[in-house]
Amino acid sequence: MRPRDKVMRAIAFYFSVILFCVLLPVILSYALGYQIDYYNFKIYKTGILYIASRPAGASIYLNGVMRQDLTPTRIEELKPGKYKVEVRKDGFYPWEKDMTVRPNMVTKADHIVLFSLTQEMKAVSQGGIRYFLVSNNNYIYYMKRSGLFRSDMDGADLRKLSSYGNWPDNIIGRKFSSNNNEFLFFSSSRLGMVHLQPGPVRVDDVFIGQDPILDAFWYPGAGYIIVVTDKDIKVVELSGAGTRNIVSLYKFNSSPQNVRYDENNGSLYFIDTRIGVDSVESNYLYRLDLKERFFDGIMQLLLKKEPDTGYEKR
Amino acid sequence: MRRDRFHKRLFEIIPGLLTWSTIIGLFALAFIKPLWVAIFVITFDLYWVIRMTYLSLLMLFAYRRLAKERNLDWLKKCESLGPMKGLAPKDIYHAVLFPVHKEGPDILKPSIKSLESARYPKEKMIVILSVEERAGRKAWDNALALKKEHQNNFRNFLVTSHPQNLPGEIKAKGANATWGAKALKGLLDSDKIDYEHVVISCFDADTCVDREYFGCLTYHYIISPDRTRSSYQPIPVYNNNIWHARSIARLLELGSSFMQMIETMRVEKFVTFSSHSMSFRTLVDVDYWPLDMISDDSVIYWKCFLHFNGSYSVVPIYVTVSMDVATEAGILPTIIKQYKQKRRWAWGVENFPYIAIGFMRNKKIPFIVKVRRSFNVLESHYTWAVWAIIVTFIAPLPIIFGGGLFRQTAMGYNLPSVSATLFNMSLFTLFVCIFVSMKLLPPRPKDVKPQKHLIMYTQWLLAPLVAAFLGSTPAIDAQTRLMLGKYMHFQVTEKKRRGEVG
Repeated sequence: MRPRDKVMRAIAFYFSVILFCVLLPVILSYALGYQIDYYNFKIYKTGILYIASRPAGASIYLNGVMRQDLTPTRIEELKPGKYKVEVRKDGFYPWEKDMTVRPNMVTKADHIVLFSLTQEMKAVSQGGIRYFLVSNNNYIYYMKRSGLFRSDMDGADLRKLSSYGNWPDNIIGRKFSSNNNEFLFFSSSRLGMVHLQPGPVRVDDVFIGQDPILDAFWYPGAGYIIVVTDKDIKVVELSGAGTRNIVSLYKFNSSPQNVRYDENNGSLYFIDTRIGVDSVESNYLYRLDLKERFFDGIMQLLLKKEPDTGYEKR
Repeated sequence: MRRDRFHKRLFEIIPGLLTWSTIIGLFALAFIKPLWVAIFVITFDLYWVIRMTYLSLLMLFAYRRLAKERNLDWLKKCESLGPMKGLAPKDIYHAVLFPVHKEGPDILKPSIKSLESARYPKEKMIVILSVEERAGRKAWDNALALKKEHQNNFRNFLVTSHPQNLPGEIKAKGANATWGAKALKGLLDSDKIDYEHVVISCFDADTCVDREYFGCLTYHYIISPDRTRSSYQPIPVYNNNIWHARSIARLLELGSSFMQMIETMRVEKFVTFSSHSMSFRTLVDVDYWPLDMISDDSVIYWKCFLHFNGSYSVVPIYVTVSMDVATEAGILPTIIKQYKQKRRWAWGVENFPYIAIGFMRNKKIPFIVKVRRSFNVLESHYTWAVWAIIVTFIAPLPIIFGGGLFRQTAMGYNLPSVSATLFNMSLFTLFVCIFVSMKLLPPRPKDVKPQKHLIMYTQWLLAPLVAAFLGSTPAIDAQTRLMLGKYMHFQVTEKKRRGEVG
C-alpha cells in the first residue's frame, strides 16, 4: 500500500471512529427522549406530544403559546408535566384539552376531529318523502305516496321502482335482508315486504296482527321473519301464496322490554317476568336461539337412519 | 489426536454458535426487553452506515489507483528495472494453471486467447490444463484439442488428468490444482528452471486476464522485498458475460469485486481470493494447495502464513482478471446458482478452525498477531452472517413484539424514523457503487440493446432486496453446516455463456 493511500485510509478511519463516537450518544439520547444541555453539561428527560387532526393543517397552542408546526406533527423535547393543548383552524370549532406529558413517553392526541362552523346541507331528494332507507350497496330508497323510488347516494339517477303507495302510517321499522334483495317495513299493526330482486319490484303485505308489533327480524338464512309482538314471538313464513304458516314460538308473561337480536349467532335476547323459586315475580333475561347450529345439522345427518325398505341386504 | 479433534470441532462450532446466539438472542430479547434491542439496533445501524461509508471511500481510493495503474505500460516499467536480489524481469516465467472440471472450449478458449493477447513474451509462458478424470472423456478430448490449437503459442502447454479417488483427497479444486502444479514441477525439473523464476497463477477456467496482467505481476514480483513470501492478487471483475447476466447476479458479483477492491486498501487483512498468483518456489515449499479443503484460494494463503511463521502477505496488483457472472436464463435458477456460489465462498469460514489450530501449534508467530488475525477472520464471517438479518429482520421486532407500552415510549416512537434516516444516509454508498460499477463496465456488445445502459443504473433499486435475502443467508447456511459437522463438498459453479465475451 502506498504511503499516500495509507494516510488517506487512516484519516478516513479515524474520522469514521470519531463520527461514530459523537453521533451515537446524540442519536440514542434523541431516540430515548433525552435532551442534552451542552452549556450546563446536563441531560434532561423529555416527552413527546403527537397531535393529528382532521382536517390537517390546524394550528397548535401549548399553554396558550402558538407553535410553528401545523397538524399532524410531533412536538419533541417537552419537559414532563401538564400542558393545555389547543388545536385551532379557521372555520372550525376549536379543540382543547389538558394533557400530561410523561418522561421518555409519547402522549398522543391523534383522533381529533374539528367540526366546521357552517355545516353543509344538501337536499338530496324532492318533496313528498314519507320514509327512506339506505342500502349497503349505496342506494337510497324513498317511500312516497306516489310509489317506491330509488336514487344513488347523492339523490341522482332517481328511478320509480313501483307504483305502490299504500305505506302504513307510523312505520316503526325498516330492515334490509342480508343480500339487500328485499326489505321489510312495519308499523305497530302491519308488516310488509318489498321484493327488489329478482324481476319487477313487488310489494307484499305479509302480516297484519291483532297484537301491537314491537319489532321484526329476518330469520337467519331462510324465508321467514321473526315478529315480536306485545304478546309473543312469532315466525312468519314468507313464501306460499294464500295462507302463510305462522308459529308462535314464545308467549310473554308480560310486555317484553329490551328485545335485542344478535345477528351473528341468530339469538334473540329479551327480558320477561316469571315467578322465581322464592315465589316472587322478577325480570329475567332470556335467549331464544333461532339459528340452526351447524354441528346440530351435521349430527342430524349422521344419525339419520336409512328408511326401512323391507328388502334384505345382500 | 483426540484432543486435536476436540479443538477442531470447537473452532468449527464457534462461528455458527456466535451467529445463532446473536440472532436468537436478539429475537428473544425483542419480546423481553424491546428497549435493549432498539438501542442495539440503532447502534448497529449507525455503525453499519459509517462502516459502509468508510468502505466506500476505500473503494474509491482503490478505484482511483486501478484506473491509473491498469493502463500503464508495465513491460516498459519492467525494462527499466535492473536485476533485484539476483532476479531480473527477463528471467521470469509465468505458469498459468487452469484446474478444469467440465468446462468446455466455449469457456476455456477465451481464457487462453486472453493469455495469447497478453503483453508478455510467450516463450516465457507455460499453460497447464489439469482436467478432472471424473469429468469424463469429453473433457479430456476438449483439453487435448485446445492444446493442439494453442500449444505453439506458448513455451509449453501441458494437459494432465487428475485421477479420482486419490488417498487423502476430497473432490475439491485444490486437489486438482496440486496435481497440475506437480506436473509443472516435473517440467521445470527436467528443464532445470529455478522455481523462484516461475510465478504460478491459479485461475478459474473462465478467467480472462488483462493485457498488462503479466507485466504488472512481473514488476511487483521483482520489486517485492520478499517475493517468495507474498501472494499477488489482481482485482477480480465479472465482465465476461455481465451484459447478458441477470440483474440479481450482476449485483452480487459486483459486490464481490467491490469487496476485493476494498481489501486491497486493507493489506494487513488481505487474503487471496479466487484467481491469484504466487512464486512457484513458495508453492513447493508449503507443499501445494490443501487436498481436503474447499476454499483452496484462501487456505493457501493461511498455509503460507503458518509455514513462514506469520511473515507472509498479499500484494495487491491493480489490474483486473475477468470472470463469468454465475447466471441462468430464469430468475429463480439464477438465485439458486448465486446462493450456492456464495455459500461455497462463505464456506471459507473453514479457515477459522484451520488457522486457530495452526496458531495453537505454531509458537513463533507473536501472540498479538494470532489474536488479531483470528479475530479478523471470525469477525468478517460473523458480520457477513448477521448484518442483513439485523438491519432487515431484527430492526422492526421491538415495534412488532414490544407491545403497546413500548410503542408509547419515545424509543418506540422514534425507532422507525431514526432507522429510516440512517438507512437514507447509506445512499452515499449506493451512489459510489453505481459510479464504480459503471466505470468497470466493459463496452456494450453489439447484440445488446442500448437501453440496457439504463438497466445498469436502475438495477441498483434491487440492492436492498438482494441484500436482505441473499446478503446473510448463504453465510448462515455455511456456518450452520460447519457447526453441525455436515461438511460441504465442492460444487462447481457451472459456467454458461449467453453471448460473446465482453
